[in-house]
Amino acid sequence: MRLRHLLAATAAALLLPVAALAKGPIKIGFPIPLSGPTAVYGVPILKGAELAVADINAHGGVLGRKLKLLPRDSKANPAEAVRLARELIVKNGVQFLAGTLTSAEAPAVSTIAKENHVVFVAPSAKTYELTDPQNFHPYIFRTASNTTIEGQAGAIIVAKWKNVHTVATIAPDYAYGHDAIAAFVAELHKLRPDIKIVDQEWPKLGQANFTPFITAQMAKHPDAVYCDEFAGDFISFVKQAAPLGYFKAIHDRLADGGEAGSIDVTRTLGKAYPLGIWTDAYDPVLWDGPNQPPADKAFDAKVAKALKIKYGSSWAIQGYVTIQAIAQGIRKAGTTNDTKVAKAMSGMTYTTPLGPRTFSAVNHDANAGEYWGKMVRTPKFPYAVISDPTYYNPEPAGH
Amino acid sequence: MTASLLVGQFLSGLTTSMFLFLIASGLSLVFGVMRVLNFAHGSFYMIGAYLAWQVVTWLHPVGEAFWPAALAAGLGVAVLGAVVERLLLRHLYGLDELYQLLFTYALVLILGDAAKYLWGTGQLSVHRPPVLDGGFQLVGNTVPYYNLFIIAVGPAIAITVGLVLSRTAAGRMLRAASADREMLDAMGANVGLIYTGMFAVSSFLAGLAGALITPMESIVPGMDVQVIVQAFIVVVIGGLGSFWGTFWGAMIYGQVLSFGILILPEFSLFSVFALMAVVLIVRPWGLFGRPIR
Repeated sequence: MRLRHLLAATAAALLLPVAALAKGPIKIGFPIPLSGPTAVYGVPILKGAELAVADINAHGGVLGRKLKLLPRDSKANPAEAVRLARELIVKNGVQFLAGTLTSAEAPAVSTIAKENHVVFVAPSAKTYELTDPQNFHPYIFRTASNTTIEGQAGAIIVAKWKNVHTVATIAPDYAYGHDAIAAFVAELHKLRPDIKIVDQEWPKLGQANFTPFITAQMAKHPDAVYCDEFAGDFISFVKQAAPLGYFKAIHDRLADGGEAGSIDVTRTLGKAYPLGIWTDAYDPVLWDGPNQPPADKAFDAKVAKALKIKYGSSWAIQGYVTIQAIAQGIRKAGTTNDTKVAKAMSGMTYTTPLGPRTFSAVNHDANAGEYWGKMVRTPKFPYAVISDPTYYNPEPAGH
Repeated sequence: MTASLLVGQFLSGLTTSMFLFLIASGLSLVFGVMRVLNFAHGSFYMIGAYLAWQVVTWLHPVGEAFWPAALAAGLGVAVLGAVVERLLLRHLYGLDELYQLLFTYALVLILGDAAKYLWGTGQLSVHRPPVLDGGFQLVGNTVPYYNLFIIAVGPAIAITVGLVLSRTAAGRMLRAASADREMLDAMGANVGLIYTGMFAVSSFLAGLAGALITPMESIVPGMDVQVIVQAFIVVVIGGLGSFWGTFWGAMIYGQVLSFGILILPEFSLFSVFALMAVVLIVRPWGLFGRPIR
């Protein structure tokens, strides 16, 4: 009797860790900037991820287990993001990594994912180098768009404009800006060999004084401009360019691939928004046209409520689809084993509020384009909106 | 290069210069008189920007609410500066300069977090005051009235402060305080009050600069650190503690940046740092400073 009890207890004790592990939550580490200038986007992306976790858990979780998000402030610093990723794996025992914002952080965290055989999904970093043949490994995935898609979309738009013979560019002086501009210039040369690039300006990221760059560019009299300024920098750029007559000089022929059509930007600029330019957003939120998927409408309402800001944010969608992609990968694999999940996710099509997206089997980039259009003001909305948002995804995944 | 191009680029540089002077002047004054290198000066500038946004939002999102908001931002930050000097900085005067540096750096972190707590992490924007909307044509360039206003404010402040320092009783006291604090104290002057006043004036200038930048730049977390680096370069070029040195330092910085961009667009900030390096090698005490004995 006693022996049997002892045996049962021993068996239970031996089984306990396994049982606890099976019933405990699936942990996802999420380093992302929550302070500093880039927190503008870090905070809503995290909020989107939290909404996805709540939605999935409300429907019974994944493989009968709940998801648990472990957010950390990466301060947009690659070294800090790497430290946090290591700590999350070793100390907190996360099975998956998601997050990071900039094109500096994501490649750094990707090396940690490779070392530890942990699936890592990047919701925002766009540099093509993240998944190019030198840096690709089985555990890296990207739900964000990339600089190749972005630059090519910009070139397709600019190439269609009439009476454009000369083009200038202005973009932040780091990986993202340089990669996107290179893709733009290459595609434009292909589409319109007659167009000449007459000027290229490279202000530093976060350098709010754009005036000397703007006047230097105006002196070259370009017919049109391709721009990759985003967030606070785009706002500073516009506030200095408009009074200098910049937009008038180029007849509003500016295309910006830095999500300047995000509700976050249009709301901040208000009546100062330069109408007539072309730009993009992951999710326009205010859709001037009938093409918003109903699932996205419901999602945007949830984001606005969670962020406690009217109309919410265009960036929350990226956090949301990232967690969804991981959850669908685990379901498909039928296990949380990272190697098997990574295999399942390669080439996988996953559902998002904006429709299905597919990870390339070659480089694990999602075929994620963005919604582009001309910025207009309509009586229906309080801010400038993208007129008839059109999905641009010029490059089939796998560059 | 055409005349139009040169004039346009010169005016861009001048706008840059005068903004930097507004910010750097307070930094330079405090160092000149109190020998305190105030790292938190950029934070006061940031708080000024946020305060201006707050007051404009309270009063009216458009219209001429900008002017009282700018004044309120300056005064609000002046009060903040006076409180910081009275309650905290005062205890560090006798100590090694390293302690003051550490203290003002701690202040950068505290004020940064406080701004994040009060105003969130989102980007904010203030509209240009309608009276300065628009601009005029000058040799083929559009010169915005607001830029012109900034170009005028810089020298106005420089001349005012210069006159106060050289012609008034308060200025004499300040110069005396910077030359020999103990002697002034021994002669019965209230050095404590002079220091508090000095720090408040410097904070006022930082807050005002923060408010005046809002029609041109977005208000974001991190603008404090971004600006303090530039302000330090200006002060170093001009000479630490030399008020007029700061003015000319800012003038040179703006033009070197502006024409540097024109000549080497792919190395936008290189020209400015190269300038600083050259000045530090040739005249380590700055163009207008005096070697420290």
